Amino acid sequence: MSNENTAIDSIAEDSVTDIPTSTERFLTFMSDGLTIGVSTNYVTEIITNHTITIIPLVPDYVKGIINLRGQIIPIIDIRLRMGKPSIDYTSTTCIIVLNIDDTNLGIIVDSVQQVIDIDKAQISPIPTENHQELINGMISLSERSVLLFLDHEQLARVY
Amino acid sequence: MDNMLEMYLYETNTLLEQLDELLIEAEKNEDFTTNDVNEIFRIMHTIKGSSAMMEFSPLMEIAHHIEDLFFYIRENGLDAMSESHKNDLFNLMFQSTDALRGEVEKLENDEPLSTNIDSVITDINSFLEKISGKNASAKETGGAASDVKSSSAQSGSLSPDFLPEGTYPQYIKIMFEEGCGMENLRAFMVITALQEMDIPFLFYPADVESNSDTIDFIQEHGFYVCPESRELTEVAVNVIKEINSVSTFEVLDHAAASAPAENTAEKPKEQVNASHPSAVSAPASGSASSAASSSGTPAKQSLISVSLSKLDSLMAIVGEIVITESMVTSSPEIQNLKLDSFLKSTRQLRKLTDDLQDIAMSLRMVPVSGTFQKMNRIVRDMKKKLNKDVRLTIEGENTEVDKSIVDSISDPIMHIVRNSMDHGIEPTTEERIAAGKPAQAEIVLSAMHTGSEVIISVRDDGRGMDTVKILEKAERNGLLTKPASEYSQKEILSLLMVPGFSTNEEVTEFSGRGVGMDVVKKNVESVGGVISITSELGKGSCTTLKIPLTLAIVDGMEISVGNSIFTIPIANIRQSFKAEKESIILDASGNEIIKCMDEFYPIVRIHDLYNIETDITNIEDGILIWVEASDKSYCLFVDELLGEQQVVVKPLPAYLNNFNIKDSGISGCTILGDGNISIILDVLNLYLVSENQY
Repeated sequence: MSNENTAIDSIAEDSVTDIPTSTERFLTFMSDGLTIGVSTNYVTEIITNHTITIIPLVPDYVKGIINLRGQIIPIIDIRLRMGKPSIDYTSTTCIIVLNIDDTNLGIIVDSVQQVIDIDKAQISPIPTENHQELINGMISLSERSVLLFLDHEQLARVY
Repeated sequence: MDNMLEMYLYETNTLLEQLDELLIEAEKNEDFTTNDVNEIFRIMHTIKGSSAMMEFSPLMEIAHHIEDLFFYIRENGLDAMSESHKNDLFNLMFQSTDALRGEVEKLENDEPLSTNIDSVITDINSFLEKISGKNASAKETGGAASDVKSSSAQSGSLSPDFLPEGTYPQYIKIMFEEGCGMENLRAFMVITALQEMDIPFLFYPADVESNSDTIDFIQEHGFYVCPESRELTEVAVNVIKEINSVSTFEVLDHAAASAPAENTAEKPKEQVNASHPSAVSAPASGSASSAASSSGTPAKQSLISVSLSKLDSLMAIVGEIVITESMVTSSPEIQNLKLDSFLKSTRQLRKLTDDLQDIAMSLRMVPVSGTFQKMNRIVRDMKKKLNKDVRLTIEGENTEVDKSIVDSISDPIMHIVRNSMDHGIEPTTEERIAAGKPAQAEIVLSAMHTGSEVIISVRDDGRGMDTVKILEKAERNGLLTKPASEYSQKEILSLLMVPGFSTNEEVTEFSGRGVGMDVVKKNVESVGGVISITSELGKGSCTTLKIPLTLAIVDGMEISVGNSIFTIPIANIRQSFKAEKESIILDASGNEIIKCMDEFYPIVRIHDLYNIETDITNIEDGILIWVEASDKSYCLFVDELLGEQQVVVKPLPAYLNNFNIKDSGISGCTILGDGNISIILDVLNLYLVSENQY
């Protein structure tokens, strides 16, 4: 079991002071050109290059299961889950291991970016005409980029 | 015996603790809820049952009387009691539980049980009389119970007129050994022994078999047998001499009976009681209480209860250690190094981890006796209800099985035993005798180990199953899948386990609800077991359950298909072999079939079924594994066999259950020595999946 885990804990430990109560920390990642954020409350760790064991007879977005130090964790490809085309995995491809209400879940993303503090009050809902699965909010960052927010509850639920 | 005593102490102490908690909480609220009453009833019932089993009669007596009391309260409702009565009840309950605890403590310290429990019982009885007397609607049950007790309590008024009416010249007064316990049943043994000799006689107390309250009476005044003539008395005396635990008996003339009887009656109660302690110290051979004391050392409670989830996590960690150990010792980095002391240490480590694994496994093992003993009760109750004379014989009750398996086979066994009682055993003794069988029917419940399995069988010597009737019924219910004439005996019997089949036309309290053997079959299969029925008309039938010892560790065969590795439980594998192209036959719908041992079996290709890419698609390149589960038998086509391994079963993540993963032929997964995951196949479900796909 070759562990190439990169601990997330050390990333962006700077702005710890003076966080308003409505602020939450988000890990941002890229998937199919979109920048998506997920609250760090749910993130356990980020791993790369893990051998995925295929599970037969499940939807294609369930890539399989991994053995993470004895824990069996299901892996979901976030692209396929959102109905996007899949791409070959590259060196930047990561698995973000989430713990959502005691459900452990790994999601495959194109790349991990950074951890930023977001004022939750500024998150706006997604316009209904642009409805996107698994996304439940958005926020405009500088430089005309937009951060989307992962609907973790929907992710853990199966439709 | 020691084990049983330990279990008994543990169980009784736990129950008494529960009871205390419950009473304290109830007293706080100054009222009992219906739940409380039911709970107390249940606790007392359990204590009574286990005490009776261990032959600790004082404990049984007290528990029994409290049970009676709460039976009355339950029947009549709590509202019927006034405030002051409720207060009295609390006091009484605390007193009685203290008395029970005192007795249990004596058991723990290896002291003889006190035989003087009359004061407690009198208290309980007088309270019961008080509340039942106040209620004009004295229920029959409560009333009857108190009547009997008052007759034994008011022992001062004893006179020969309690002797049964009738003309007989003499009567025999039998006294049993002090402290031998269960006097009523011993008296009943006397009755049966006399009945076997065809001696017409009367006896008192008349309800010894069913009424354990008679114990008090027999202890104090003896058991009376009244044969019809003097000649018969002699015969009876000879019979009685032979019976164990009878200490003394007197033959008395009926007319002159008043004198000795009154003597007994006039003896002050205190004196009788005072004589007990000295009597107990006298060698009471074969007495029940000496069974406990014979061990010599005090029987301190040395059991603790641990939640199953803790054991599960222990198992998981031990599994991890076993895997990690093999990861360390077979690490490729040290493969070509000569490390003598390292090898020595690793061997030591392997031995220790093996031991650790064995111990962790044994923690979860419990004997099936608990489940089996419950059947005693069921048989007893049904015997009364159905008026059948049945004896339950238990064999191999110390056989140990994983705790989770014991829990899940309890219901199936109960169901099978009920079926045997209800349908299997002939309704009347006459019918049995006419068939040349002993009048008393027998149900044998047995358990035994065979390697990695436990075989549990329920056998009866009843009517057996009528295959013709079963076929007819199945046809009526539209359960037949081929012409009736083509069914073999085995197939017909397995029809019993098809959903919607119940051989009995009438629905009774105990069985015949139509949900029957199919549910049993499902339960057994859910723990990886197999159920089979054999029967011979007129001779009886036998239901056999084959259950794996544990679900936590499986002997598995690792196989590969493409890049995936699967584990097939060895228990399911019959044979693996290379097939030749010529031996493959296609059936009408194009499915592959192969002939082994003169039977035809379908082939399931795992790579097709699971859409796994592999280079090996030619039947001659891969290997066929002939597998069997329950009544399904077929061949799996895989790329190659990797080897046999003992694996620790891990459940699949809960998230995947959303995709009905259990129905896709996967029962779990396991982590291999190199850290990779292998998926454990469920041979039975796999076949169903393949059937649906084609």
